[in-house]
Amino acid sequence: MKYVKTALILAAICAVAAVVLATLNMVTEPAIEKYEEQKVISALESVSNGMDIGEMKAVDDGYVTYMYPLSKNGKTSGYILGLSSIGYGGELGIIASFDTDGLVMNAILVSDSETPGVGKKAEAKGYMDKFIGTGSASNPVPTSKSMLSDVDAAAVSGATITFTGITKALSAGSAFVRSL
Amino acid sequence: MKANIKELTKGIFKENPTFIIMLGMCPTLAVTTQLVNAIGMGAGVLFVLLFSNIFISLLKNVIPNSVRIPCYVVVIASFVTIVQMVFHAYLPSIYEALGVYLPLIVVNCIILGRAEAFANKNTVIDSALDAIGMGIGFTLALSLISIIRESFGAGTITFFAIGSWDGIIKVPFFNKWPIRVMTLAAGALLLMGYLKAFFNWNSERKARKAEEVKA
Repeated sequence: MKYVKTALILAAICAVAAVVLATLNMVTEPAIEKYEEQKVISALESVSNGMDIGEMKAVDDGYVTYMYPLSKNGKTSGYILGLSSIGYGGELGIIASFDTDGLVMNAILVSDSETPGVGKKAEAKGYMDKFIGTGSASNPVPTSKSMLSDVDAAAVSGATITFTGITKALSAGSAFVRSL
Repeated sequence: MKANIKELTKGIFKENPTFIIMLGMCPTLAVTTQLVNAIGMGAGVLFVLLFSNIFISLLKNVIPNSVRIPCYVVVIASFVTIVQMVFHAYLPSIYEALGVYLPLIVVNCIILGRAEAFANKNTVIDSALDAIGMGIGFTLALSLISIIRESFGAGTITFFAIGSWDGIIKVPFFNKWPIRVMTLAAGALLLMGYLKAFFNWNSERKARKAEEVKA
């Protein structure tokens, strides 16, 4: 009988917690969904370089998960790709724009579980600047620290796995656009 | 009243959770790479610790002794989830800034430690004061460690960005020639060792002085 009472008390505490959390989830869910949608929209706009963003198309090609065509004056001028890679703390979600030759125009790290102060520095403004304009045969996306300037190499020092994850995704994105 | 105030102040120096009780070492070593992380983590722990201590103290006569730990975990995890959902929905900038540290609060030993060592034996008011003191003590300790690590290791001190100010103060000399190991795990352990040695020396010195006065 004692064990039944103990089990019932534990079950009651769990049930109350579940009801409170479920109610709060119902209340906060619309606001969270709206925020997440807004986050993706502003990320797309920030990498579009002022070009018109077309309809999304799902892609299943290694690092590339989806794409949006970019157009200027009705002519396709590039693509925004959703890229998924692996960093130090797990999955890295990157949104990057490429011109039709596969050169990186802009990139942003939108989701990650990297260590704050170390890998998470990749979220900072300016981190992706080192990749802009790369992606051609003569100027490939830097895939190792030796391909960076001393200043850029120092900036990624201590977070090499994050850097490698991002650079592999951008390199794959560049190759994907060139293959279109 | 004096005894109540003691519950509040003990967590700041005398029983500081980081330097004296040595609880919550994992987040301490992991998040102290930047001051902003330390403040964010400290604020999150303070909030969850306060509410979990209050609720555990309220439920202390209801919760059976044999299942007290699972009950504490349910209460603590619920509060962390509440904070996470509310921040995500209504304070997204703070939610983004705290990142992975919000869910990590569930496994912070300070919260379970205070529930077990204090809240389940004391009144609601004393438990709340204990939580506030311990939370402030933890935040101050994290801030001290992060200021030293960030200044030496990156040459910066990073606060929350406010308006057009990016929140970064550059530290002369170390900004040009940072000691990078300080931002890595080895630097955290090294610094923690030196700070622990300093606090041990300080406690012993005070105890010796008290004995001398007695004699």
